[in-house]
Amino acid sequence: MTMRWRPGPIFIILAIAAFIPLLDQVLPAKMQLSEAIRGVFLYAILALGLNVVTGYAGLLNLGIAAFMAIGAYTFGILTCEIYPFQLGFWPAIALTIPIGALAGFILGAPTLGLRGDYLAIVTLGFGEIVQDVLKNLDVVTKGTQGINPLPAPNFGGGEWTAEDEYKWYYLFFVLLVLTVLAIRNLERSRLGRAWFSIREDEIASRSMGIRVERIKMIAFATAAAIAAFAGGLSASVLSSTGEPSNYDFQISILALCIVIVGGIGSIAGVLVGALVMVGLNSIVLVKATAWMAAHGIGGQGNVLLSPNNWKYLIFGLALILAVRLKPNGLLPPRIERAHK
Amino acid sequence: MSVLRADGVTVRFGGLVAVQDVRFAVEQGEIYAVIGPNGAGKTTLFNAVTGIYAPTEGRVEFNGKEQVEPLTVRIIARLLATFFVVGVSTVIGLNIETIWTAVIIDNYKFGELFPWAHGIECFFSTLWNLPPAKSILPFLLGGGIGAGAAAVSWSRGRRAPDHIARSGVARTFQNIRLFNELSLVQNVLVGMDYRMETGFWSALFRLPKFYAERSQCHAAARELLQFVGLGDRADQAAGSLPYGFRRRLEIARALAGKPSIILLDEPAAGMNPSEIVALMALIRRVRDAGTTVVLIEHHMRLVMGVSDRILVLQYGRQIAEGIPEEIRVNPKIIEAYLGSENHG
Repeated sequence: MTMRWRPGPIFIILAIAAFIPLLDQVLPAKMQLSEAIRGVFLYAILALGLNVVTGYAGLLNLGIAAFMAIGAYTFGILTCEIYPFQLGFWPAIALTIPIGALAGFILGAPTLGLRGDYLAIVTLGFGEIVQDVLKNLDVVTKGTQGINPLPAPNFGGGEWTAEDEYKWYYLFFVLLVLTVLAIRNLERSRLGRAWFSIREDEIASRSMGIRVERIKMIAFATAAAIAAFAGGLSASVLSSTGEPSNYDFQISILALCIVIVGGIGSIAGVLVGALVMVGLNSIVLVKATAWMAAHGIGGQGNVLLSPNNWKYLIFGLALILAVRLKPNGLLPPRIERAHK
Repeated sequence: MSVLRADGVTVRFGGLVAVQDVRFAVEQGEIYAVIGPNGAGKTTLFNAVTGIYAPTEGRVEFNGKEQVEPLTVRIIARLLATFFVVGVSTVIGLNIETIWTAVIIDNYKFGELFPWAHGIECFFSTLWNLPPAKSILPFLLGGGIGAGAAAVSWSRGRRAPDHIARSGVARTFQNIRLFNELSLVQNVLVGMDYRMETGFWSALFRLPKFYAERSQCHAAARELLQFVGLGDRADQAAGSLPYGFRRRLEIARALAGKPSIILLDEPAAGMNPSEIVALMALIRRVRDAGTTVVLIEHHMRLVMGVSDRILVLQYGRQIAEGIPEEIRVNPKIIEAYLGSENHG
């Protein structure tokens, strides 16, 4: 069989991302991108997780940040020196995945019988409960201080520091590629097909012998596992879990915006959505603030003239524009051509 | 032994009796039609048979067995395990501060190795020495709620459509329910899903058996599309199919799991005469391939042309059953069904 391989949109996006650090070499210091793109990768992983449950299986999850928090605190407790476990970066980051999945299972088991909006409300509540538990359980979680310092991976000579920008960049890049591959493999399988069928018509899929509860549960746990993985990574790069309110509703909504703006149920769409939403936040607005400060516009006192305060306005606007002009997202999923 | 037997099936919605005391038996290799005026309870009967509604009274048997998941030792063990795990988790969750302090904080000195054996010992002794109000009570309460909920959801699901479909009963829908955003092949593959064996891990890591099963199933799905006459549209989205072809795709999807019986709910609705002739041929081919067919239909030429036996419903009751020739001349039916619909 001769099948010509053509690069798909996912491949093109990731290939471009691989060369950003090289681009940085020629750009002036003020225009450097790689640190901001690293944040894009992190949110792309989180949103890819949300995409599994909301995009593929059609279950609106408004508490994805809670699983990110669970991953971050798992990573923190397993690695930090104030606890007895003291695992290294790799085993701890690997353990965030099953623990995230377990958390997803615990939330999913009693609630997946709920339909649409009701499930959304339960997940929303779960997001708030996790924050409150982490805040108040200070014997274990150190409350609002967060857990720190946390280790970075030591890979190729000594532990990394914040200086090793490109190492971090490529670590995140490789992990993003692995996440994309894993999700793509699941998407193009029996399981992915069952997710789509439930999203399209639950009664029909049930009448075709699909075990709807089980399939939903796998979607929920997979999403939670990936979100927890993203949480562990974010804790590692910050060297701290941060305080529990870092994982609040805004993060869940940002992840949801990424999925909606990019294209519900499309991996390439999520990658583009992450670039647009997080890019706006941490590249355009940050650079704009720096530029305005350099030119003496705005300044400390004026709230309205500080671009950082515009972000919610811009998120809302982006969401309205996306839903109005491109309701299927920037890169909507294509009908999968069946493989021969 | 009959493939499908309904024994006094009654479905009530509150005070409304949609289906009342319906009895029939469909034999292997038969084409069996259910007819009746609109609102006679035909679709409700189908829904009761396929588990979308539970019959209020009566039994539905496939191949001599009622399709209710049996209460096995494994399920009881699973409920007990749920009770135990949820109960213990509740106790640990409720006392997490006490336990964490006793196990971790009291034993761990910064920079020293943690005495694991002693830690585990402390864990159990703390758990054991909790006051009853903080141990037994939450254990019973948490475990009871957990196992109770699991038992309720199990008993609700034991006659669920997925369970019945898995035992070899396939159906199509009156108001076509295809997966519009999936391709035709994908639609058929969903119907084939419960026959597949590879799971999560072989898909994630693309193990060799994943590829083997995929190519096998795709070939079977294309063959099935060929069988219903949609072979050249296999990769198109189901939502883009013309109306007449959608019913055929539904039939292909229902056949994908190699069911022993297929229930067709108004397969000819909205079809033109030449499409109906083709559909009749298709229904016969399905039967000749070894699948028993039960169909609901209003189109008399189709019903009289293909059916071996016909059941007539009116206002939820069965008013006649017999071969087409008997039904055609039965005055009760002409009045109740044809008469009322044509002159009313």
